[in-house]
Amino acid sequence: MKKLIIFSSTLLLTAAVFAFAVAAQAWNINGKYNISFSTNAASGIFKTFKGTIAFDEKNLAASNFNVSVDVASINTGNALQNKHAKSDEWFDATKYPEIKYASKKIVKTATGYQVTGDLEIHGVKKEFSIPFSFKQAGNGATFNGTFKVNRNDFHIGKPGGDVDDVITVTVAVPVVKA
Amino acid sequence: MLKKLLLLAVLAVLVGVLSGIAGVVYQKVYIETVGEGFVNIASVKNIIGACLLGAFVAAIGYFLLSLVLKGKTEMVFNMLFVILSFASILGPIGFKLPLEQEMPELFPGLAVPMHFFPALGWFALRPFFGKSI
Repeated sequence: MKKLIIFSSTLLLTAAVFAFAVAAQAWNINGKYNISFSTNAASGIFKTFKGTIAFDEKNLAASNFNVSVDVASINTGNALQNKHAKSDEWFDATKYPEIKYASKKIVKTATGYQVTGDLEIHGVKKEFSIPFSFKQAGNGATFNGTFKVNRNDFHIGKPGGDVDDVITVTVAVPVVKA
Repeated sequence: MLKKLLLLAVLAVLVGVLSGIAGVVYQKVYIETVGEGFVNIASVKNIIGACLLGAFVAAIGYFLLSLVLKGKTEMVFNMLFVILSFASILGPIGFKLPLEQEMPELFPGLAVPMHFFPALGWFALRPFFGKSI
């Protein structure tokens, strides 16, 4: 009887550990994503976005995002603005070629989900939360999110001036099951 | 007066069409050279339309100046046409292309020279009209 209890307990514990540690569904980023930003003075997109996404609505603890944006892929639609944005006054694309985001925690909210993680822009890393929604359809799904970033927090450009301090970022990332 | 207006209109059409054709030819050369012609924005219709518009504005300007300046019209008009052509290059330099358009940095190289074509066309064809206008 004692052996049975020990065996059962071990089995339960193993199952619990396994259930907790099971990896969330991995997703591959579809090429038709949209990473856009807008301010009063300029708006545009980042054309190159990559990374790994693991997300399971039923297992948020095991879900995570580790993504990056190629700064040099910025496109405002205007050559002068592109050059200006990549210069050392703004993103300094040569020195800081990537914008990185690594999640630490994902929680469910009333409207969808919120991911908290480290956002690194222009060499400055800060904890940053992003609200997002997740809509699944068959083997595919789409992550959508809109949030605001204060460029002064990341020492991008000079405070004030013609461009708003707060930049609105919109993210739409279609994914397919890996 | 009516004859002068008619001749100016003819000159404007000739300048517009000639500079438009020059613009389209330049675009073809540009595509062959750099591999991008921005044909969705700078379509044949848009190029010729813009050149005709520029030539007609020039003709109206010439007519109005001639009413005021008489004998000095040519000198002032030519100078103004060159200055305004130079000033107009700010348009393509500041132009915001659709975000899906690749290589926007090549757009000024296509559009800026085209802004001088109506002036070149005018300077080439104007002498054929002598003192009639």
